[in-house]
Amino acid sequence: MLPDDAVDRITEGCRTIGKICQTQGIQQWEIVATQSYGHSIDIEAGKIALAAGGGEGGYGIRVVEDGRFGYAYLVDLGSADYALKQARDIAKVSPSVKGFVLPSEQTAKKVGGLFDKNILSIGPEDLLEQADAILSEVASLDQRAVVTGGGLGVGASATAILSSEGIESSGVTTSHGMGIQVSIDADDELTSSYEGDSSCQRLPNVPDCIAVAVDWAQKTRGPIEVNTEAHDTPVLMTSEGFSPLFSMVVPTAIRGDRLVRNESFWSGKQGELVLAGDLSLIDDGRMEGGRSASSRDGEGVPTRRQTLVENGRLVGSLWSTRDAAQQVAEGRIDHAETNGCAVRGSHQSPPGTGCADLQMVSSLKSSSQDALLERMQEGYIVHSVMGAHTANPTSGDFSVTSSTLLRVEGGEILGPVKQAGLSGNLAKALSKDVHLGNDVRIQGSYSSGNMHLPDVLLMQGLRINPA
Amino acid sequence: MVMSASPTDEHRPSTGRYLDQSKIQAALDQAQDLGASYAEVRLMAITDSSVALRDAKLERAIPGQEVGVTLRILADGAWGVHSTTDLISLPSQIESTVRLAKAVAARRSSKDRPVQLAEVPILEDEIHWKPKQDVRNTDLQTKIDHLNTLHNSAADDDRIISVTCGWSDEHLHTELMTSEGMNRVWSFQRSLINASVTGRDGGEVVSYRTRHGGEGGLEVIEACDLGQLGESARIATLRLLKAERAPSGKLPLIADRDLTGVYIHEALGHPCEADLVAAGDSCLAGKLGQTIGNEIVSVVDDPTIRGGYGAHPIDDEGLDTREKNLIQNGVLTEYLNHRESAHHFGITPNAGARAQDGLHHPLVRMSNTLIKGGTHNDVDELMEDIQYGVFACGSRGGQVDTGRGSFQFAAQEAWLIENGEITRPLKDVSVSGLTLQILKDVDGLTRDARLAAPGFCGKGQTVPVGDGGPIMRISQALVG
Repeated sequence: MLPDDAVDRITEGCRTIGKICQTQGIQQWEIVATQSYGHSIDIEAGKIALAAGGGEGGYGIRVVEDGRFGYAYLVDLGSADYALKQARDIAKVSPSVKGFVLPSEQTAKKVGGLFDKNILSIGPEDLLEQADAILSEVASLDQRAVVTGGGLGVGASATAILSSEGIESSGVTTSHGMGIQVSIDADDELTSSYEGDSSCQRLPNVPDCIAVAVDWAQKTRGPIEVNTEAHDTPVLMTSEGFSPLFSMVVPTAIRGDRLVRNESFWSGKQGELVLAGDLSLIDDGRMEGGRSASSRDGEGVPTRRQTLVENGRLVGSLWSTRDAAQQVAEGRIDHAETNGCAVRGSHQSPPGTGCADLQMVSSLKSSSQDALLERMQEGYIVHSVMGAHTANPTSGDFSVTSSTLLRVEGGEILGPVKQAGLSGNLAKALSKDVHLGNDVRIQGSYSSGNMHLPDVLLMQGLRINPA
Repeated sequence: MVMSASPTDEHRPSTGRYLDQSKIQAALDQAQDLGASYAEVRLMAITDSSVALRDAKLERAIPGQEVGVTLRILADGAWGVHSTTDLISLPSQIESTVRLAKAVAARRSSKDRPVQLAEVPILEDEIHWKPKQDVRNTDLQTKIDHLNTLHNSAADDDRIISVTCGWSDEHLHTELMTSEGMNRVWSFQRSLINASVTGRDGGEVVSYRTRHGGEGGLEVIEACDLGQLGESARIATLRLLKAERAPSGKLPLIADRDLTGVYIHEALGHPCEADLVAAGDSCLAGKLGQTIGNEIVSVVDDPTIRGGYGAHPIDDEGLDTREKNLIQNGVLTEYLNHRESAHHFGITPNAGARAQDGLHHPLVRMSNTLIKGGTHNDVDELMEDIQYGVFACGSRGGQVDTGRGSFQFAAQEAWLIENGEITRPLKDVSVSGLTLQILKDVDGLTRDARLAAPGFCGKGQTVPVGDGGPIMRISQALVG
């Protein structure tokens, strides 16, 4: 899938651009390069719709002169001179940030589990086999169930970074992922569920998420009548239902620049209780096999595992080099420095600040879903939400909709509810009486990184509004 | 190595084309020789720039050039696709992509219908929507000046703690060659400016976003009173600091132009996409010709509305774009389609194919979607017989489950309506419902329909869209 010399070639490309930077006498420069290849399969209407493959890549150039930075990206080395000129022209009109210099070289230890050679050997035929296996599995679980959309894919990415400050690093990561929408359209009722899984390692041919998708499409059939008055209620949010809201709100709230600029609902609360006293937030940029983990962050600084909220108290925040220098220079904080949290979407953007693999854990014993239901007694299980991206990361307020929810009474599931609105403030809901399940699952994110979350029982702060 | 061809103008061949036509023609011929019933090569070169100001200081400016090309081959009734940034390598991928398509076809059961494409006119031409002021010639300082105008107006209050302003522009150049003889080139530009305003009063923190943009160059930005845009955002932010949480329940709702647009995009537009209908993932399956909404509801999707953020001259399968009448007087009259779905349903192709860029294959997508105007004069007339309801304005986005037909969208701000009059400001209003129910519950529309603020639509791929309409009243909506 990935050419054997992919890393060598992009590293050589970085060196070529670096030499031009040196020739032009640029004070500080940083070149990043990415090169990705992959295969994918689209599924529609219960069959394989198409098979695709290909690759893409490019270079990003950041120049820093007297605390001013400029950026440009390109796809071929032939336009490096032009891109560099653009980046330097931009740097000239950018504000000078006192103390902003590119990070210097530090030794970074390798993170394991980010590469699986077995993925490199997966070809289109193998993926087609896997797609067939998934379709067969869905049909075997429920003859009415159809995979109406989604797909699966494998990829490998070579990345490299080279800077004037001695940073030179490169590597290859792999990925294998899938996401499927399972629908059951029978008896004038259509129910559906979307589930997915992804890993740096090769996934099983039929991952557990396939059965979960069928299960939720089944158990949301035949909605029951419930009290349609809006009311405050405990809600057990599955990992899948909770992570979109959590990822929209929390990673943004723990960014250092937003905290010191009063743009976070946790601004001014350093050292104070912000979560329930048993909860901690840990960002692990070095998690073995972590989907967002790496030995170095987006600007070459060694990554680390760091506790951001410890037993409910805000004790840390996320920083990248420029954000830290800027907030110090502007007098919002006496001291700040990068803690390896620079993130990049691709070579097309300069580094920003964000989390890598973010975990929420409890010091208390975690519970099975049955135990959580027993504690909840009356309320709802919410498995997916629509509109999580409309949540307000500044305030933590949200108002979303779910069509994948179950009514719980007496600690037992009574039945599905057709549709309901769910609103509240996530910061407040997480501030007390929160109980975690014992099955942590890895989810994607609306902001940066990946979320490692179990089912979460929120006993207060939420309002449900059944249709 | 996939990086080889340069998208910068100075590296482009003197023909003005990135694709070497003779080589691509030979590659398309080869695909047919290998058994392809259809093959296409679509290239997209994008010259873009984005600029961000944070509290009046330049945060970042990123000029970029990118080029991508996608080879799409139909063989034995199934698709094989190859996408790359390496133009030169493309001919070498023909054989493997034909093989890929045949491998997909081999796994189809006999009851699966093979993919076929609806007939379309085969054209060889170029269409370039020229901007009045080519945004590629706009220097960085001009962009910063405009952003500062927006910032200064938005930030003019002590309670405004942060204003982030953004600019993005892009020049899009597309070349399409097919085995049927289609050989078209088209280009156009899009420009956008936006602001995100954060206000704080004691422990209360709120934010408000505003956007202006559309198809075209610098003239799009200069047509906007940026001072006014910033002032409106500032006033709205300050109002949100005093706003109460919205009531929950089923209530009469009035939506402004922005929200009306998002509503019709989510609730109707997506379920109208024929690829979703064919996949069994739309609540509108089998409903063509049926009444699905109040007779006052007529909806169009029109990529030919110049200036709309979703405007484009040619779709990504090479068809001239045209207006699509999705609903006429409450009756579902047309799905958005592409060639495959048009053939599937035996309907006329209506140029609904769009791809995010040169590295993605086309899907059925919306462009500029809006509800046509009604008979009410203004919002006061819509409100006058509402005893207790909500007037919601500005969009924070929305989402739809097309299969179930349920949707959600969120407002930036709102007001309580009591006894026919606006009373208190509200915040965090979202609206949800079921497509097939709520289209019937639209019971009032003002006369003046037009596109609202620009937006982006995600469906695995992200494309710019315009949405809008008149001010709309829904007799009963689930407000949260």
